[in-house]
Amino acid sequence: MGCSSSLPDRSSGRSTGLNNADNPEGPDAKNLRVKLVLLGDSGVGKSCIVLRFVRGQFDPTSKVTVGASFLSQTIALQDSTTVKFEIWDTAGQERYAALAPLYYRGAGVAVIVYDITSPESFTKAQYWVKELQKHGSPGIVMALVGNKADLQEKREVPVQDGIDYAEKNGMFFIETSAKTADNINQLFEEIAKRLPRPSPS
Amino acid sequence: MSLDSISSSSSVDESTGLNRNSDLEPVDEQFGLLSLTEPVELEPNRGNGYGVANGSLNRERSNGEEEYERLTVQNREIFGDERPSSPSSSGYAGERGSSSASTASRIDGASEVDGDEIQEVRNDCSLEGFSDTQASAWVPGKRHVDEDDGSISWRKRKKHFFILSNSGKPIYSRYGDEHKLAGFSATLQAIISFVENGGDRVKLVKAGKHQVVFLVKGPIYLVCISCTEEPFESLKGQLELIYGQMILILTKSINRCFEKNPKFDMTPLLRGTDVVFSSLIHSFSWNPATFIHAYTCLPLAYATRQAAGAILQDVADSGVLFAILMCKHKVISLVGAQKASLHPDDMLLLSNFVMSSESFRTAESFSPICLPRYNPMAFLYAYVNFLDVDTYLILLTTRSDAFYHLKDCRIRIELVLSKSNVLSEVQRSMIDGGMHVEDLPLDPLPRSGSSPHLGQQRLPTDSPERLPTDSPKRPREPFIGIGGPAGLWHFIYRSIFLEQYVSSEFSPPLSSPQQQKRLYRAYQRLHDSMHDKGIGPHKTQFRRDENYVLLCWVTQDFELYAAFDPLADKAVAIKTCNRVCQWVKDVENEIFLQGASPFSW
Repeated sequence: MGCSSSLPDRSSGRSTGLNNADNPEGPDAKNLRVKLVLLGDSGVGKSCIVLRFVRGQFDPTSKVTVGASFLSQTIALQDSTTVKFEIWDTAGQERYAALAPLYYRGAGVAVIVYDITSPESFTKAQYWVKELQKHGSPGIVMALVGNKADLQEKREVPVQDGIDYAEKNGMFFIETSAKTADNINQLFEEIAKRLPRPSPS
Repeated sequence: MSLDSISSSSSVDESTGLNRNSDLEPVDEQFGLLSLTEPVELEPNRGNGYGVANGSLNRERSNGEEEYERLTVQNREIFGDERPSSPSSSGYAGERGSSSASTASRIDGASEVDGDEIQEVRNDCSLEGFSDTQASAWVPGKRHVDEDDGSISWRKRKKHFFILSNSGKPIYSRYGDEHKLAGFSATLQAIISFVENGGDRVKLVKAGKHQVVFLVKGPIYLVCISCTEEPFESLKGQLELIYGQMILILTKSINRCFEKNPKFDMTPLLRGTDVVFSSLIHSFSWNPATFIHAYTCLPLAYATRQAAGAILQDVADSGVLFAILMCKHKVISLVGAQKASLHPDDMLLLSNFVMSSESFRTAESFSPICLPRYNPMAFLYAYVNFLDVDTYLILLTTRSDAFYHLKDCRIRIELVLSKSNVLSEVQRSMIDGGMHVEDLPLDPLPRSGSSPHLGQQRLPTDSPERLPTDSPKRPREPFIGIGGPAGLWHFIYRSIFLEQYVSSEFSPPLSSPQQQKRLYRAYQRLHDSMHDKGIGPHKTQFRRDENYVLLCWVTQDFELYAAFDPLADKAVAIKTCNRVCQWVKDVENEIFLQGASPFSW
């Protein structure tokens, strides 16, 4: 709360923390706005997914995210609604784990990313799913993403494992490659479709 | 003097010497690992420093003459003779006054390991300024991860830094993989605890031309092993900064992890920060802020800096603890909330953290950071946004939920800055550079509001394509290639009250990074000997060797470090220093941030 008083344009939809966009049921049913948080082990490609989605870029040099970066991107759906994603790209490092609630609190969407070549990152993804089930917003839309799908020859997490785990936990599952841009837009479009729509008043 | 406060803590733990022969043997054994053949000597914890412990440096002080109006030629006797002064002390194997010719070239020549790598990669962003000259040659991040203490190449590195826990677990190593260095870390820990068990504390071990400097911070041990012949106090100060950088990332509450579990492995917590530490260590050789503990400003017209300060102040009044606008490592303006003051070391560590972490450049970020001098136990939250390639805004707050407020603050600030042309002025200043010794005025400048950029007499047309380090292009006939008037090559002026310094741009003959690093090392030795706790502090020092004439002058108000051609005339050099001080005074409104919240501690 706190800082909202000086910002009347935003104060209506805010609860706590970094929650500018926790309220998809904004005044305009055709223009949704949603807070999305990316979680996952370090090095699985969270920032690459975001930069591919927001800027259409891919930078193979690894840039370690510090704290969390904030980016936004708006997409238009076929039913002529637009969805503005306000994306928190969090750092995967262990030292920031305790701060994750700061970023996922009030998020309408959580994208949990692992690297299909790293079973450890898949384990870590499951940790994040459990954490969000316990502490995330009720009704949060969760997506499980196996990234680096271009590295088929190095795959160590079978597709079926991802599908099974996602299904068991009521999540949407997709494998992506930020490098080739494969399934990146699909990921966000699918999320947009699954967002709870406000009932027209 | 505030400078002393940083190092003075060491004097607290002075105690009995360690020069009993019985102590030497095991330590010597331990250091067999370093494959050093020369006898190891344990330096007892003496209060007087290692820099200038004996004779050849002139120690006369001008007692009773507290106030110098000017540094006059008539005072020349205080400089003593012109022998190459030698900061030599017993056991300091490498540095002998009269042999300084060979010594100096060996110390600082291009043979240093960093130097070897200078040709390896040319960064594409070699735009402007000295720091870029360095950056273009320097590869960020950890190198030589494949090495360990068994590698010949690892042993040959000139300067190692280690962080380890008091149980001997490696936390950070400048070179090599920490995990492979577990045995080596355990050895370092054994040395420290061996001495501690005797009720003492090891600060320095000298082994041939190597110095091993230890710093104990609760459960964290920091060690530097160096054969660069930098003074002990400098190396210790560097360890302090490395520790501060770690605290900035994790806070001092990390100590609790060791209380709970002495075998706690800290490396996962620092994952991905190699680049932050390597950039800090690199800055020890190019950034004077690392040893004079002051910050520097980007030269800007007074009104421009005021405009930036006004909008930052506006934001600070709305609940921001610190609002800092910087361009590379130089401050454009900064403002603190009431009674909050920012230590120059914290600014150094913060700007190093922001500049070395690439992710800040990709998008606006919100990250926990700790300012070790402000409050080492608590996280603050930093909103960081790059306004252009080099210019960035840091807004610090105590509130974890303030992101959207800070984002709005940034939008307001950016709007004002572009409306009032601050950002374009910043770009212009980056191109024009700072003070050039070639521009040293012969006479005091007329005090008028319309004086040219830093009193430069040059035509504005010659500036756009000129790089600061590239002055031969400029039409400055009398001094081309030989620095400024009277053989002045370079200077650093530190205002004690403002805790700010200004450093002249490098020009030929100081054109290569190696030469610049050598000069900074010489300044460091000068600084160290001036502030020596045993026989100092001194007011003036004049030394001549085959590389430079160095002149240092310390008053209550400022410190001046100046480097001249080795053949420069002493009387003229002194006169020139007076002119430099006058010049700095004339342009102080452009080069310093005036009237900021009190920074004195």
